[in-house]
Amino acid sequence: MRPEHPLADVERSLAVPPRRRLDVLEEVDADAEALQAELERRGYGPAQARRAALRRVVPGTETLAQLEAQHAPPLGRWARGTGWIDRAERLGIFVATGLAGAVACITILGTGALGSAAVLAWPQVIVVALLAANWSRAAKRLWIDGDLRPELRRRLWERQIGLIVLAVALGALGAAREVWGAFGALEAEAFAPPAMWDAVGRIVSFAALGLSAAIFGLFGWLALTPRLIDDETMEHRISAFFASRLPPTPSRRR
Amino acid sequence: MQATLSKRINELLVLAVLEQGPAHGYQIALSVEERTGGAFSFQHGTLYPILHRLETNGHVRGTWGGEGRRRKTYELTDDGRAELAAGAAQLERQFRVLLELFGGTHAA
Repeated sequence: MRPEHPLADVERSLAVPPRRRLDVLEEVDADAEALQAELERRGYGPAQARRAALRRVVPGTETLAQLEAQHAPPLGRWARGTGWIDRAERLGIFVATGLAGAVACITILGTGALGSAAVLAWPQVIVVALLAANWSRAAKRLWIDGDLRPELRRRLWERQIGLIVLAVALGALGAAREVWGAFGALEAEAFAPPAMWDAVGRIVSFAALGLSAAIFGLFGWLALTPRLIDDETMEHRISAFFASRLPPTPSRRR
Repeated sequence: MQATLSKRINELLVLAVLEQGPAHGYQIALSVEERTGGAFSFQHGTLYPILHRLETNGHVRGTWGGEGRRRKTYELTDDGRAELAAGAAQLERQFRVLLELFGGTHAA
């Protein structure tokens, strides 16, 4: 089995934006190599020089914590400084709940969701809350912690897409249900013009709600995209960095 | 207090080394160790938060260079030179007071 690079553990532990993480890795790795060469020149054995060089330059737990505090995004540094870092998750939940509440009010006004349409309108409210919560989690990772790893990024994206599809489906189902009800009333000839306009209003409201939720989910994620693309490019460069460094072996110059 | 003083000394040590000319991180670490006879040394990467803090504060300037492989070189800025002079004078005052106090204690 190929031995792990001495900085692989640092890469896993250092929770800073990938661009910063790559800078730290490259700086430390170049220093470790140069220091090893220097120590060998001064009479250390190759393995001994390697160990001594790594002991000096590879960041330990306390150093990693300091680097994380220094290289956190500005919002994250502010949040740490003011103590808001512990409240960020709660704030996200509060915002998501507030948003869902606002959507609930719109739903009740637009569709009369306290009545028979509730079975489809309320899940829509929950979907909007979940979309907001999912987005908040990604945004917190990016702009407060600064570190959204590919695995979590992929999971959050899949969840976002799933919720968007669900929002559209619920909107379409709600609208279809109202159309069905309206046709039923037409056949029974119990459909006065004001009632017809009510039905049209409910159909449009359901469709608009589904579409709005989908647009909110999609555009919310699009707002993260430039940063996500930059992060992904950096993650590729980090992978290339490790791929290009064969496991260090003691030099045979002596 | 101890952590603050130790942090301050480490920063000044780095600035003092860079006063001799630009250097890579490992050269700074080695130089500090040699010039202090091993009394001060940077282990487990403790040098990097110090360097990055000094860079953020504008006391040193970090430049990426190197062909094929990136290496970072640090050099002292004018602000850093002023910081070193002010810091060294402040430390000297603090240590003089401490030494006088310790001297008095020993004499008693």
